[in-house]
Amino acid sequence: MPNLKKTLEVVWIVLVVLTIFAYLVGYLKYVSTALVAVLLITTFIKGQLVIDYFMGLKDVRLKYRLIPTLWLGVVISLIAVAYYLPVTS
Amino acid sequence: MSKSITLKEKYPPGDFAIWIIIYVELITFGLLFLGYVFSRRGDIELFNASQLSLSQTSGFINTFILITSSYFVVKAVNSIKSMTQENYKEFNTQASKWLLLAIICGVAFLMIKITEFSHIFGEGINLSTNKFFMFYILLTGFHFMHVLLGSVILFNIYQKTKIYGYTPDDHRGFETGASYWHMVDLLWIVLFPLVYIIR
Repeated sequence: MPNLKKTLEVVWIVLVVLTIFAYLVGYLKYVSTALVAVLLITTFIKGQLVIDYFMGLKDVRLKYRLIPTLWLGVVISLIAVAYYLPVTS
Repeated sequence: MSKSITLKEKYPPGDFAIWIIIYVELITFGLLFLGYVFSRRGDIELFNASQLSLSQTSGFINTFILITSSYFVVKAVNSIKSMTQENYKEFNTQASKWLLLAIICGVAFLMIKITEFSHIFGEGINLSTNKFFMFYILLTGFHFMHVLLGSVILFNIYQKTKIYGYTPDDHRGFETGASYWHMVDLLWIVLFPLVYIIR
């Protein structure tokens, strides 16, 4: 139990730090494509932490954990596609 | 004891029905997120200019608030899971304190969002202003309603903890409400960088 308590605190701190990072990036007038990639990866990490430790799916059958994880992965991948695919006009 | 641990490992926390709702909600929001990013490709300059008029600070504070409220809800769930027949009143009280903090966060989120909406609508912006604001109002408005519902659910659970309504054998409703709240948090975690930051 003490380990679990510590894990929750660490997860919360990581979530806050990654949110602060995203906020600071938001101050840039132009967000470079590399930074967009970093933001998307950190968003995936944040989402997965919520799924595993807040929703408590880390210790349940894999299929229940996979559904939100796949959702997160597919949504973030398609967001990346929409940002990186060249716009033809 | 070992039987209970096995069950917890087999199934997600709370009623199974809530997980069907959660999966449907994730798909619905996922489609809206993709609608937003692929529409953006049609007029990137307009989306970027419109996005800059939003308050990123409000978005950041609201993200912090939701993450923290989710943390409080997990602490409340852990309190409820730790109780035994002998100490269930004490743990109901402990859980109620964590829940109250989570509800305060939920209300704070709603107040900040209302302020943001008043500012936007006060400037004459509405659903038909442009595509960016159509998606912004739809996405954040739809999410706002989920936070509102989640706060009401948490308040109902809170009231039940005040009368020591949860026991070691009966706390599934508690976990059901908590799972819904975490879904609301998960959705905002994707929504915040998408609508407020990335351009």
